[in-house]
Amino acid sequence: MFLLPKGSPLFENLAVSKLKLPDVLTKLSNGAFTGYASFIFQSSTAILVFEAGKLVSVLVEGQNGKREAGFAALSALAELMVITGSGALNVYKLSKDLTMCIHALLEGETLYKAQDLKLIDINSLLKKVKDDQMNGCLRIYTDEHSAMIFYKDGNPLGFFHDGASDIETSSTESQKIAGLPGAKIDLFSTQSADELMGTNLLEVTNIQKIWDTCVALHKSEIDKTNLDRQERDKKVISLKLAELEGQVKIIVGEYVGKVGRGIVDKELSDNGGNSCLIDADGTEKFMKGVERAAKLLVSGTNIKLMMEKLSSAISIGKSEF
Amino acid sequence: MEKFFELLTQMNPFDLVQVIFWGLAGAISFYFSMGNARVWTSISIGFFLIFISQAYGINPWAHYQKLTAFHYIVGTVAIMTITHGFLEYYVFCRTFEISGNKLVVYLSTLAVLALSGAFLIINPTPSPNTIRNFKMVENAIWVFLCVMNIEIVRKIYAAIKDSDISKGFIAFGIVFLCIFVWRGSDLYLQIFQWDKDWQDIISLMTEESSDIEEYIGRVQFSQDISRYAGVLSGFSVGAAFTYMYKLLR
Repeated sequence: MFLLPKGSPLFENLAVSKLKLPDVLTKLSNGAFTGYASFIFQSSTAILVFEAGKLVSVLVEGQNGKREAGFAALSALAELMVITGSGALNVYKLSKDLTMCIHALLEGETLYKAQDLKLIDINSLLKKVKDDQMNGCLRIYTDEHSAMIFYKDGNPLGFFHDGASDIETSSTESQKIAGLPGAKIDLFSTQSADELMGTNLLEVTNIQKIWDTCVALHKSEIDKTNLDRQERDKKVISLKLAELEGQVKIIVGEYVGKVGRGIVDKELSDNGGNSCLIDADGTEKFMKGVERAAKLLVSGTNIKLMMEKLSSAISIGKSEF
Repeated sequence: MEKFFELLTQMNPFDLVQVIFWGLAGAISFYFSMGNARVWTSISIGFFLIFISQAYGINPWAHYQKLTAFHYIVGTVAIMTITHGFLEYYVFCRTFEISGNKLVVYLSTLAVLALSGAFLIINPTPSPNTIRNFKMVENAIWVFLCVMNIEIVRKIYAAIKDSDISKGFIAFGIVFLCIFVWRGSDLYLQIFQWDKDWQDIISLMTEESSDIEEYIGRVQFSQDISRYAGVLSGFSVGAAFTYMYKLLR
């Protein structure tokens, strides 16, 4: 996303995670704000251009250069705000004319795109801008540098280049970039500021609904993720428990004989299933039950050995949960 | 006490040895019931009660007919309690359920004996014939339940044959076999009216004749079998409990 002039900053670096898009838009709209708000995320940037409180353009651009505008951009922005949980909001107040130029840059008609300056008669182009009383923005750039000239009714409003924070009156930097090898130009035009006033995206979109839908979707996704994780965890726990149960059955079977498996099954069932093996109270009851039953079948010496082995196996098993 | 020793000297040496063996078996089984799981309580008490039932020979008050009858009732209760114990053990082998407590078993046995005593008290003094009937009923129940217990013990052994104490149940199988022979031969004599009690009854109280002279050989054989099997039964019970105690130690 190209840099834009900062004008008068109203807010800078506000944490997006604490904001709600409908509240931000309502606040800017009610305050008859003119300028732009930029949302900077790690993977995307969103620019919202306001003209006297009316939302005239929205643009969301991803790191891969993919752009979305209008309703789609609002939805994408709401989604980014809800999902990412990070990012910063900057709000800059601009003059009405400059705002119009920013709009041109973002969503205006593209008259030239990536035209090599060497192949263009720049003087004729500037004359045409003047003669047609064009409103818009001329962008001159190379791979490393970029400068913009904003026009109103064919007259330059000011110059803006990388590294500057605001509009300048001098064209020196723009001329310097234009002189660099490989310099290219983009030319964007738009309607006049007064005509732009007829557009207000806030009137044609239900931003609250977009936001609520995003929040609900996000919540359902989180819930689904949590549910999936819980189920995955349950599955892992259940596998580990089954393994521990198998070990316990082998130990009891070793001392008690084939009925040992039955004794373990019965005691597990009486104590709420194999999950009792990882619960201190449940384990105690289980062990007592096994010992009581084993007393009818096994010698005291073997019971002692079996209980020691069982206790150790369950302790090791427990430590894995 | 003097009368007690007088009775001891008057007793048939075989009967005396038998009572002594049953005394030892009873003591061992009762001791066994105290230190072990609840399921063993019924079995141990049952074998202890056999001693009580056999002790009428050394009971100084055995001439009281009601007390003699009571000895036979105790014998019947003994085998029923033993069978109940082995049934419980078998149920444990199939379901691994252990329920109840020792005190209930002790108290229930006492209650059954008390009710039996009450039954004798409220009824007329039993005649020698009635006492013989008590004895015959006792023997019949013993024979029937011994067969049943041999089968239960076989099933228990099959279920737990790879456990420490499985061989102990083979010992109990031998015990029931001995008791079956002992009681069975006694019952055989009673059914054909060749038993001593019947001979005493007909010689003193009736004019009935007996065919015992015609079958004196088999009578003698059955009497010997009964005598030896009785001694062997007492010995085998003591040995079985001692062996079981050793296996469970």
